[in-house]
Amino acid sequence: MLEATGLMVFYENMLALNNVSISCENNQIVGVFGANSAGKSTLMYTLSGIMEDIKKKEDMAGRERITVLGAIKYLGKDIMGLKPSQRARQGIILCPERRRIFPESTVLENLRIGGYLASPPQKKESLEYVFRIFPALEKIKKRVGGFLSGGEQQMLAIGRALMAQPRLLLLDEPLLGLSPLIQVLLVRSVKEIRDERGVSIIVTEQYARPVLPIVDYAFILENGANTGGAIGQP
Amino acid sequence: MDILIYGTINSMALALMALGFALVYGISRIPNFAHGALYVISGFVTWGFVRALGVNYLLSVFLTMIIIGVVGALIYRFILIRVRGMAISEIIASYAIGLAILEGLRWGGFKGMTYTLPVFVEGSVDIAEIPVDFHRLVVVGIGVAVVAFLWLFTHHTRIGLALRGMAQDERAALMLGIDSDLMAVVAMALGSMLAGLAAILLLPLGNIVVEAGYNVLILAIAVCIVGGLGSWMGAVLAAFLIGFAQILTVTYLGSHYQMVVALLAIIFTLILRPSGLFGQQKELEERV
Repeated sequence: MLEATGLMVFYENMLALNNVSISCENNQIVGVFGANSAGKSTLMYTLSGIMEDIKKKEDMAGRERITVLGAIKYLGKDIMGLKPSQRARQGIILCPERRRIFPESTVLENLRIGGYLASPPQKKESLEYVFRIFPALEKIKKRVGGFLSGGEQQMLAIGRALMAQPRLLLLDEPLLGLSPLIQVLLVRSVKEIRDERGVSIIVTEQYARPVLPIVDYAFILENGANTGGAIGQP
Repeated sequence: MDILIYGTINSMALALMALGFALVYGISRIPNFAHGALYVISGFVTWGFVRALGVNYLLSVFLTMIIIGVVGALIYRFILIRVRGMAISEIIASYAIGLAILEGLRWGGFKGMTYTLPVFVEGSVDIAEIPVDFHRLVVVGIGVAVVAFLWLFTHHTRIGLALRGMAQDERAALMLGIDSDLMAVVAMALGSMLAGLAAILLLPLGNIVVEAGYNVLILAIAVCIVGGLGSWMGAVLAAFLIGFAQILTVTYLGSHYQMVVALLAIIFTLILRPSGLFGQQKELEERV
């Protein structure tokens, strides 16, 4: 489904990603594990195209020079250089690190903003689905996003990404800063989403343990490079 | 009593002037210093249709709104898009556009007392023994309608919700497939149309003069700063605050202090509460 080869990302002369290759087949959950600053978020930004936007803004303001090299093939087509909105339209949706909920909108509005790309029937169906896998959200749907707890925010962030009709969902550190109880719940939901919606998922984490049971394949990033250490068969 | 009535009318006029500015800033974070120029152009375009070409008034209002919306969108698409994200350049670029338009008009001979627009409805009515002409009531009515429309638009339509998403976190909106440049064009077009609407509603009360462009810009900025930059509801409330303050000064001090009120409001807000009345965004961020 997605195949990225030889990804290199430079911030000025600093090498953030060094020759990273990653692939994700249909209906797979792929894990990317690594410590802080290993390049996990950079990888996610590069795959989802947000890096193009960051690069454009930095260029315009004459700040850091960002260089992205390599190839990303998605559904057989090269998507390198496509804008993030175009990639999202093709089904690559990023659920970002630290969740980035819209803080002044209610839970329901957050989800409806997420449904920007969906048709009205899709929106209705996805909304029901999100409330089914995260019943906690339905109870607080009138609450403002900024006042949610970390776990609720993460559920909302995943729900919001689902509203955008993903075919490949990129989850960047979904368990960051959450209690073990919620971690277990979220990990179970991620697996459910894959099984029931047929969505391929790439998930990054610092601590592999909670995610390990559900990944089909995982590899380890260290200092921006793929160590070659892998878990499972690609 | 006349303070109440004329205060409300003045406040609504201020709100209409400021809403376009607040909308554009709230969504794309571009302080559109060409706002006043767009306001004045709309006046002259409508004048051109009505007086010079003899088009039906309602039709020319409609046409003007479309034209000014397109002009706003083009300004963003070809000029502001290049400086987006650099605060100083945004101000310089948009102010330069505004100056060029206004001084261009002045140079082109659009000055003097001959440029007036007809009022919507002739005549006046007495409210509690104070004569109020119908046109001012129309201004209040349409002002309320515009605020209601904006609220519905941003809470219940796909584009409106996307605009709000982008206003809160542009990058998160990008991840959901919302194209930020497209949204900024939409915001700029809407903001320009609001400036045009304000011009069409308020200019019949006096002459169309180039200087109005600068006054409208200052008033719009004052209202937006007091209300909290980027907050539309804050802008409406601040419009009432400044509007009533202005009418009170006119009644008790004299009409030439009117502009001073707006400028003092900016200074006091920046000293006492720099984020404005409704700059809640920061408070929320601290809590999370």
